[in-house]
Amino acid sequence: MAMSSKQIVELNVNGIPHQLLVEPRKTLADVLRDDLGLTGTKLGCEHGVCGACTVLVDGRAIRACLMFAVQAQGPEITTVEGLASDGELDHIQKAFAENHGLQCGYCTPGMLMTAHAFLAENPEPTREQICEGMNGNLCRCTGYQNIIKSTAAAAKAAK
Amino acid sequence: MTSLIGQKFVRGDGLEKVTGQARYTADLAFTGLLHAKFLYAERARARIVDIDITAARAMRGVHAVVTQADAPMVRYGMFVKDRTLFAHEVVRFEGEIVAAVAAETPEQAEAACAAIRVVYEDLDPILDVEEALKSSSPLVHPDWKSYQTQNGVERGPNDCGHMTSVKGDVEAGFAEADHILTETYQSDMAHAVPIEPHAVVAQWQGDKVTIWSTSQVPFPARAGVAETLQIPQSNVRLVVPHLGGGFGGKCDFHFEAHVALLARQARRPVRLVFTRREEFVATDKVRHASKIELTTGVKADGTITARRARILLNSGAYCGDALFTTEIGLMMVAGPYRVPNLHAEVHTVYTNRTPAGSVRAPGGPETCWAVEQHTDELARRVGLDPLEFRRRNLVQAGDTGQTGQRFISSSAKECLERAAEIAGWPGKDFAPGEALGIAVGWWFSLPASSGAYVKLNADGTGTIVTGAQENGSGSVMGLATLAAEELGMRPDQFSIVYQDTESGPFDLGSAGSQTTFNNGRAVIEAAGEVRTKLLRKAAEMLEAAEEDLELVDGAARVRGVPSKALPIASVAAASQTSSLLIGSGSGNPPSLPEHDLSGCGGRLGYSAFLAPSFFCHIARVRVDEETGTVSVPEVTAVHEFGRILNPLGAQGQVEGGVIQSIGMAVLEGSQYDGGRQLNPGLLGYKLITAADAPRVNVELLEDPVDHGGPHGAKAVGEPPVVGTAAAIGNAVAAAAGTRVRALPMTAERVWTALHEQEGELA
Repeated sequence: MAMSSKQIVELNVNGIPHQLLVEPRKTLADVLRDDLGLTGTKLGCEHGVCGACTVLVDGRAIRACLMFAVQAQGPEITTVEGLASDGELDHIQKAFAENHGLQCGYCTPGMLMTAHAFLAENPEPTREQICEGMNGNLCRCTGYQNIIKSTAAAAKAAK
Repeated sequence: MTSLIGQKFVRGDGLEKVTGQARYTADLAFTGLLHAKFLYAERARARIVDIDITAARAMRGVHAVVTQADAPMVRYGMFVKDRTLFAHEVVRFEGEIVAAVAAETPEQAEAACAAIRVVYEDLDPILDVEEALKSSSPLVHPDWKSYQTQNGVERGPNDCGHMTSVKGDVEAGFAEADHILTETYQSDMAHAVPIEPHAVVAQWQGDKVTIWSTSQVPFPARAGVAETLQIPQSNVRLVVPHLGGGFGGKCDFHFEAHVALLARQARRPVRLVFTRREEFVATDKVRHASKIELTTGVKADGTITARRARILLNSGAYCGDALFTTEIGLMMVAGPYRVPNLHAEVHTVYTNRTPAGSVRAPGGPETCWAVEQHTDELARRVGLDPLEFRRRNLVQAGDTGQTGQRFISSSAKECLERAAEIAGWPGKDFAPGEALGIAVGWWFSLPASSGAYVKLNADGTGTIVTGAQENGSGSVMGLATLAAEELGMRPDQFSIVYQDTESGPFDLGSAGSQTTFNNGRAVIEAAGEVRTKLLRKAAEMLEAAEEDLELVDGAARVRGVPSKALPIASVAAASQTSSLLIGSGSGNPPSLPEHDLSGCGGRLGYSAFLAPSFFCHIARVRVDEETGTVSVPEVTAVHEFGRILNPLGAQGQVEGGVIQSIGMAVLEGSQYDGGRQLNPGLLGYKLITAADAPRVNVELLEDPVDHGGPHGAKAVGEPPVVGTAAAIGNAVAAAAGTRVRALPMTAERVWTALHEQEGELA
């Protein structure tokens, strides 16, 4: 691919500004993983169903496989790597780790990001609201039971 | 000190998994990395007239193009050596790999694949299992007779493995019956669907290759690479980074050798990452579509007198590891019931579809579903409540199973009664369209060789080096508990080196629910050797007798004299100047219980169930009569697992299995148009989501076994997925007043069954 087809993209990821030269057709997920080395964001289906690639764009849960990097200029992007600060897990990470809210771990980054966006809007959710709120992320290991428990535990811990 | 067995489990890999630091195969970075793409047949059956790779090879960025002409002409396969790495002269299913390309970008690789010119002569595909078994059918493998097989495999034309299970005199049994019922059940092909797609990276240094792969079975995968590339196993290192689930879909040897060939030709590291479509079409490891015919005789009091069964499995284009499904499915036809007279046969039928193999609990859910629908129909025939009918026929201690295995113990009835109690059988206060359904079943523990090393470090921490593979369940993470228990240490004091064929001793991999069962025994044996050495050294240092010492709370101390003690760290440090504290274990596998195979044919080793476990599932369903949609608001799952080592982990397995099984019950199935899958993506092939998932009431019962896993444990991983679809089917029948005889019980099928019934009434 000729150099001229690339363009400069400015992304603000986990509080750090980046200037990157990428092809406009590149998805946010691919740029995060390939250009920024942030492989915590996983690709499970690349057609917007599994939710493994979920990141926060200005706090909203977005499927990074369905967004071009060029569209993500301006807003604050948060990936799973941006959750812990100074080596200290945030309350949602802690809740998932302590409540066996993960098995293989592949859906976990997406689950954590969705849980963030969901709990920000629903700080005191019922079980039913959690099930609805986490509905867009697939997990094949846990049967969701401990993901629901972990999300509830995180809500409780935030109080 | 209190035992660590049964305590709360905090998984050692949790921290890296919640921070995004856990590296999976597709996350690995390499200098000079190239990207692989496969060219697939995209047709079900054809003869290859010509392959021309000239244009592809000349394209910019392309570093390697390989076909079967570049690979040794080796036919491989676990049971039947019926396939080659790339298509050889013919293609037998749409996902058959014809060629592979490595290029500097995935887009260049894809463009080069498109530039490979293949001339085909299309042939009529063989798709139907009944048709395929007719003598007039064309053959998927015309040269089948010349293929090598594992000892004992019995085959026929288009049948890569048939087996029988024979007990008593089935005709005499039918003569004793008051009712004889014949029914046929069918299930669609279903997929494992791990959220992580397959990925492989290969890198050569000299004549040695290191392969990073999303494999559940590193050692068998290594053997496959060595066999197909004709190189020694010692020249192949197979490493599995974190594995993003498998469920059987990543068992057996798959794409490692293809990528290794590309890397060798390109002289660069090469990475393959599957798309979700490839996961559906090309993974050659799906749950068989099946057809199950059952005829059962019962007395008026509900006693089963005889059963005849015939199972046809659609194995697709190749045998793969399908014969596990074949034999285990066969072992499911009697269910955990006393069936004194049985004649069952199973055929593993070649067709031009995606090859099937062992997916979590191979042969389990579909056969259990058919048998348990049939059981409810038998109960209805004799006018008994489904629970009572099962109560009268379940195996008890002292009974013999379908191959004459004597049950030393049976928790089948206890599981049934407990589940009934929790679920409130037969149920009340039902909303319109609601009902309960019940299913029981059994499963086995797989005895296999498996190895581990344990060593203590100078600071008093330990390292476990194991051949075992972590699929996510936590079974490898749980090994630390077993070592810690032996050595009076804490699980978090152990690091674990795993899933690398160059470091750990052999293990079968994450297959057959065998990790804790077999590798757990190996770790205990290895830790036991360390314990012996540790006590010897501590006795010398404490000037005490070895037999007076105990290992408690990280210290070696004289029993009853807590003040006379040494931290394990001190003993370990002192050992570094004398005899090291290292141990190895391979935990001798227990043998199968005695059984009798007279009259049976084609059997391959799953002819009796070691340390059998039992379960009962009860599902509450709601059938929407307008649309046929089935929802499942509640499932009760009672399992007996021998001894529960890790309650949180075991419960997680049951919950995950139940939800997967709900998917199989109402959503998951491949639709076909001829030889092409119609729904190879997550929009067309839907999984259960959090909003669909009911609360699962799990209860775990114990019945420790002497000749089983560590501390009397039994296999846990697969049994939970076996029974839920069956319970849902019976609940749907109870709610709808009509039975759906095909899996998945989609809205369309349920609606059709309701509609037909209305038609009949009119």
